[in-house]
Amino acid sequence: MEKLKPGKTNAEDRMNMVRYWAAYVRAHPDKVWSRQQAMLINAQLKSARKDAQAAKAYLKRKGLAI
Amino acid sequence: MRFIDSSIIAVDKELNDLDHFVLDFAAILCKHTSYALVSGYVAILLGRARGSEDVDVLIKSMSRKTFISFYSELLDNGYWCLNGDDSDELYPYLTDGLSLRFAKKNEAIPNMEVKFALKPFDSATLADTVAVKTSGGELVITSLERQIAYKRVVLGSEKDMADAEHLEDIAKGNLDANKLRRIMKELQDGKA
Repeated sequence: MEKLKPGKTNAEDRMNMVRYWAAYVRAHPDKVWSRQQAMLINAQLKSARKDAQAAKAYLKRKGLAI
Repeated sequence: MRFIDSSIIAVDKELNDLDHFVLDFAAILCKHTSYALVSGYVAILLGRARGSEDVDVLIKSMSRKTFISFYSELLDNGYWCLNGDDSDELYPYLTDGLSLRFAKKNEAIPNMEVKFALKPFDSATLADTVAVKTSGGELVITSLERQIAYKRVVLGSEKDMADAEHLEDIAKGNLDANKLRRIMKELQDGKA
């Protein structure tokens, strides 16, 4: 796998990381990348579920009843 | 990840909580109508390293009677609708081309954003799908070519461009370049 190239701007850096991660997904068994993806997503959802304020803000943002 | 043919992808991934949520919902939905998962979750299912608050799903239009049966099964399985409680009030939202959001009781996130496929591009999306086989069951997504084209031409935010880039990269060698060009042109010309 090629090394991650630092971007000259934040946007370029983020896109380089997207490409690097896609190459990582291609180069590694599904269980390896998905374990890392699960840690990220599960932590985000756990945090969102615990945070009642965030849920209220989310519903307000979407124009839905609270 | 294995691209078995143009209509089947097998992913032997460790399922995350979002995947479990979608698989659970889709298992109910598919009993009532056909569907295609679209937008950000398609990229996430296939490895993109980001989360999402909502999962977009296009469904084939259903009658009021079928909707009531579907909604009732959702309620029985611990879901609620964020847009209202009464099926008579909810169904017209769908027929008007609006979406309904469903989450697990006492939660708002994550939610499934359900929309009838009423526009020509939506109908074409439902007719152009890929089955993704996981250890927790099968999910139906829109074809990657259609997803990439829509994200690049219609949506176009930094997040959408990143999703499109991810899909192109992971599916390198497995995309139909002519099909991708055709759909992009249709979208650019406003024909879709």
